[in-house]
Amino acid sequence: MSGLPGWEATERVLESGGFESRQRVLLPEPAVEPSESGARWLGVTYWQAVDGFTRSSVRATWREEGGRLRLLGGATLLKFGPPGLQYGDEAVSCRYAIEGGLLALRAGGSVTLAQRAEGEQHEISVTVEEYLPRLAARAGAPWWAGTVYAKGQSPFHAAVSRRYFQLLVQGRGA
Amino acid sequence: MRVTVFGATGVVGQALLPLLAEKHEVVAVSRGARDPDVGIRWVEADVASGEGVGDALEGAAVAYYLVHSLGARDFERRDREAAGNVAREAARAGIEQIVYLGGLGGDDRDASPHLRSRRETGAHLASHGVPVTTLRAAMVVGKGSAAFETILGLVRRLPVMITPNWVSTPTQPIALTDVVRYLAGVAGNDAAIGQPFDVGGPEVMTYRQMIERIAALLGKRPRIIEVPVLTPALSALWLELVTPVNALVARPLVEGLRNPTVAREERLRKLLPFELTSFDEAARHAFDA
Repeated sequence: MSGLPGWEATERVLESGGFESRQRVLLPEPAVEPSESGARWLGVTYWQAVDGFTRSSVRATWREEGGRLRLLGGATLLKFGPPGLQYGDEAVSCRYAIEGGLLALRAGGSVTLAQRAEGEQHEISVTVEEYLPRLAARAGAPWWAGTVYAKGQSPFHAAVSRRYFQLLVQGRGA
Repeated sequence: MRVTVFGATGVVGQALLPLLAEKHEVVAVSRGARDPDVGIRWVEADVASGEGVGDALEGAAVAYYLVHSLGARDFERRDREAAGNVAREAARAGIEQIVYLGGLGGDDRDASPHLRSRRETGAHLASHGVPVTTLRAAMVVGKGSAAFETILGLVRRLPVMITPNWVSTPTQPIALTDVVRYLAGVAGNDAAIGQPFDVGGPEVMTYRQMIERIAALLGKRPRIIEVPVLTPALSALWLELVTPVNALVARPLVEGLRNPTVAREERLRKLLPFELTSFDEAARHAFDA
């Protein structure tokens, strides 16, 4: 992965039937400081990455009770709870619970943006856990659903993560 | 210590002067003649042309730069030139620190011209070697603040608002009283010299939430309809029609709504700890001022 040291991307189906996908990079310096603002910045930058990657056709909108990822300001692709911020010397994270939306079979799972010390380096990661995508191969799903997920939504996650890591690296030098 | 304040007649400058005058000898700069205030000496200078800037800085250790050219069609060029003039004269006068109030959110490649200009102004101020302390803030909540007055004007006048979906962008407004406290606190502070700091209020919210909060404080319940296509030019013209804010001021502000303006660090909060004013309290104070 050019310009993104230590890039790794993994994806697997958990025993629960949920999906887990994870992308990460390794940076020589932390991207954010260990504080509430640093944790929040991990989340804010992620939604900026989604917005930038989709040329603003998919944007997150927020209320007190959480956020909605909307297509062209209309259809809600995913619903999220409010950000859960954690920060300490070893790790900083911002976690959003997935609460539904067109792309979720049902509420459950989460997206976590995190930074943690990894030896001398700092690992920045995007982890989607226990997510039950509507577009996935499973009993009872249309034959094309798994293909759409594998060829569309899954690469989309990875591409947004790349954009996200790039934004964090740019912002670090700002 | 003598401090010189450029932009002393603006909303932030007016609030900052009395705070500085408690501890320092204050030289306040304006483009026209002003009557003297207690503890404040007014001098005439024009940062755009550079005329009088050197005299205003004579004998000062710290210079505050609170100037912006919002409202001018070519505000980016004007801001660049004005900052360059002050930076050059500050270096000649032996100024030890320039304190600059910039904006949050101008780091992205696709940042709005206004936010980008705030960032470039900081770079120009540093271009002649005087260390610059930059405080990067989002909307300042106070009477006369253009961004705040724009939102207030919308809430006061419109029962139904058709807004661009940028109103869902997060921001971290800060009370006028808090931002001037930070500005005053960094003067001559060794730990702050040459440093950039993000400053934000205690709450992060979207502009939509801000509209709803202000409306609740005013006893109103406007209906907000977000539409995906509403250009900055149209939005600015609409704002000029329904709020007291000029379209030339409104347009750069509207364009800036698409960029998140949220603090990414809290170093200044740790350096100058005090209890931050809640958004509701700051807004109420602005209504009453």
